Amino acid sequence: MSAPCASRLGDAHGYLDRVIRELRVLQSPQKDTLVGVLQYLSDHIRLMREEIGALRPGRGAQLFSSTTDELEEIVTETARAANRIMDAAEAIETVAATAEPAAAAALTEAVTNIYEASSFQDITGQRIAKVVRALQSLEEKLGSLIGAVVPPGGEATPAEEPKGDAARLNGPQLETIANSQTDIDALFASLE
Amino acid sequence: MNKSMRVFIVDDYTTMLRILRNLLRQLDLTNVEEANDGDTAYHMMLKSPPDLIISDWNMAPVTGLELLRKVRGDAKLRHIPFIMVTAESKTENVIAAKQAGVSNYIVKPFNAETLRAKIASVFAPA
Repeated sequence: MSAPCASRLGDAHGYLDRVIRELRVLQSPQKDTLVGVLQYLSDHIRLMREEIGALRPGRGAQLFSSTTDELEEIVTETARAANRIMDAAEAIETVAATAEPAAAAALTEAVTNIYEASSFQDITGQRIAKVVRALQSLEEKLGSLIGAVVPPGGEATPAEEPKGDAARLNGPQLETIANSQTDIDALFASLE
Repeated sequence: MNKSMRVFIVDDYTTMLRILRNLLRQLDLTNVEEANDGDTAYHMMLKSPPDLIISDWNMAPVTGLELLRKVRGDAKLRHIPFIMVTAESKTENVIAAKQAGVSNYIVKPFNAETLRAKIASVFAPA
């Protein structure tokens, strides 16, 4: 929490508690409702400060960097697996070259399918890279929240949106909304 | 399709480079060079221009779109067919690539037949 904001919130909370103490010693019979409401507010401010304080930068950063590392490890592992699969496919293809024609054709077709399917690593890698970027963005925002509780009526600074070519780097789209190769072909032809 | 043509493949995922190389070999295209990013690819191609470029889009520091623009802006390379093979399937991406002079566009994941057909189409008489 930044010093000015922390100080402002701390001052306001301290002031509220002082008002509550001063009201309690009054002899007015109407004070109880007001004290109850103010105490409710004070308790909630205390709880909020404790919860935000629990999101200390060190703990938050560790959680995010650990999660990011795990995701990057998935990319490494899937690349390793894809390469082993292709090692095997290439070995089969070599054997296919020595097989009789029908068997060779069947083996080559199977190997082609393996090569095509191995592209999962590229697609999943790009999706994971998107998740990592989202986590990094979330980490930054959480850091800002911890660093400075937004004052009442205040607005957080919106994240800077990518522009130009950078805005076009969307990565793989969800299957439900992505253009298929047929869509792409039709679009491409329409641009001729 | 000239089986002895030189094909230059560009992708930051080595797995994808290997897949492309294998699929091209199955099409009897064995004269293949590769690079992991657009900048390296561009400088390699300047030294020895290929007959066909097959490039991913989403790479750093030079993206496939930037590589395409560099290629189309270079007198030595601008005539070379350029196929974009990418997971970027948004309509505006295809339009941007087309405007930059891409010869054809393949969306990942793709199959061997799509690759064959697109290569054939860029060499087909207009």
